Amino acid sequence: MTYRAATIAGLTTNVFFGLLRASVLLALLNGQSSNGWNSSDAVTYVVLTQAIMMFVSIFGWTDLMNAVYRGEIATDLLRPMSLFGFWFAQDVGRAMAALLLRGVTILVISSLIFQIKIPSSFTQILALLLSMMLALTISFAIRFIYNLAAFWSPDARGFARFASVIGTFASGFLMPLRFFPDWVQQVLNFTPFPHVMNTIIEIYVGSFSGSGLLEALLVQTLWAVLLVILANAILARASKRLVILGG
Amino acid sequence: MVDLKHQLELYRRLLGAQLRSQMQYRVGFILDLISTMLFTLTEFGAFVLVFQRFPSIGGWKLEEVAFLYGMVEFSFGVMDMIFAGFDPPAFAQHVRKGTLDQFLLRPSSLLVQVFGSDFTLRRIGRIVLAIGILVYAITANDIVWNLEKILFFPFVVLGMILFFGGLFMVGATITFWTVESTEAMNIFTYGGSYLMSYPMNIYSDWLRKFFTFVVPAIFLNYYPALFFLEKPDPFLMPYFVHFLAPVVGFLIFFLSVQFWKFGLTHYQSTGN
Repeated sequence: MTYRAATIAGLTTNVFFGLLRASVLLALLNGQSSNGWNSSDAVTYVVLTQAIMMFVSIFGWTDLMNAVYRGEIATDLLRPMSLFGFWFAQDVGRAMAALLLRGVTILVISSLIFQIKIPSSFTQILALLLSMMLALTISFAIRFIYNLAAFWSPDARGFARFASVIGTFASGFLMPLRFFPDWVQQVLNFTPFPHVMNTIIEIYVGSFSGSGLLEALLVQTLWAVLLVILANAILARASKRLVILGG
Repeated sequence: MVDLKHQLELYRRLLGAQLRSQMQYRVGFILDLISTMLFTLTEFGAFVLVFQRFPSIGGWKLEEVAFLYGMVEFSFGVMDMIFAGFDPPAFAQHVRKGTLDQFLLRPSSLLVQVFGSDFTLRRIGRIVLAIGILVYAITANDIVWNLEKILFFPFVVLGMILFFGGLFMVGATITFWTVESTEAMNIFTYGGSYLMSYPMNIYSDWLRKFFTFVVPAIFLNYYPALFFLEKPDPFLMPYFVHFLAPVVGFLIFFLSVQFWKFGLTHYQSTGN
């Protein structure tokens, strides 16, 4: 019962924030289109970001650094598998639960309140699922990297806060990247952040087709591979300098 | 009288201890300052960037929205610093871990101890930026400062601090029963501050009526802003509602303190 109450409270809060964010975008658009998006796209954007924000942990994650500070990381390092793989597997589980329990419910409830778009073709749905998996990988790799700061700093929470603030802005959670001035979009395209959220949204509302879709997924894949390699390289250096006290 | 003096002295000492401990990790503290500043910067910055593509929002210009945003951000930031001890997730820890029992056993005011249990100095980052946005808004809007406006201004800020502070206390009180902090309070605290950052005419009728007649948030920032910016009232309410902000703030705060007292008589320790 306690959990049910907490779930309902969480859903209500989520939908309420969606309502406020949609109101702002609808008032800005005022019935017109801007840079190819109309009111329906904007509302779909809001609902979708609200539905997947838990899935990609947009507000950040500090479990790994907590494990470092508590010394539990020592047990994890003893396991006969990579630390990255071990934590990634856990995060995929967490993300799936967030998506299926929270995300889908939010999508369903919100579709009763708002007129949202539904992806039409099979290719689009397939691309969407692939893009979501890649987004989760990129998001996890970024979070893993700033959590590794705990190996160097006695208080890495600042890094986590810092990264989550940058992430909400640059991934397109605060406002659609499409509505930013062109130069801001170009700058952000040199970073992995848009691939944590924006790419999923653009695929969902159907901005890409044919080779454009393929290119978007390819760039996303490149970022995922690059960040996973980087995360493992930093991990290799971090575990060398680890000193566990006590016993 | 002697007692009050003693309590204030105690609060001052608790604060001193808080500030000294938060300044211990100098680098961590500075990073925290920057990220709270960055939080406000990205949130408002995203809006400013997007606004370049649009002529107005609900008939309001950027500098007018900046006034709404700056007022809420400043008041909420100050409140968040002072009332940090009541921040529901933090307060829930006292209930769960039983440290609240320690507070209750001490021969001193509980309120002073909770107020003194946390004081988030890092919010200064957010507050400084909010002041910057307000200064921009005030100059860009060419607000004509007469005596009425100068006298009313601090009361608007005070009204919002009391309103949000009261909501924090309500959220903290609920944890007496639930032990865990409830996410639903975020609708009124963080949701309220988001809602008040934009002109109220952009929201659907039922939402605006809810925040007029059930939770009277509309009077805290929107109506005072209409008065300061000398904008007409689209909802044609009686003229005196422009000045209700401090009354609403005090009322909500008073009711919250009553609820806190009620909750305290029902408090059962978790027993550890």
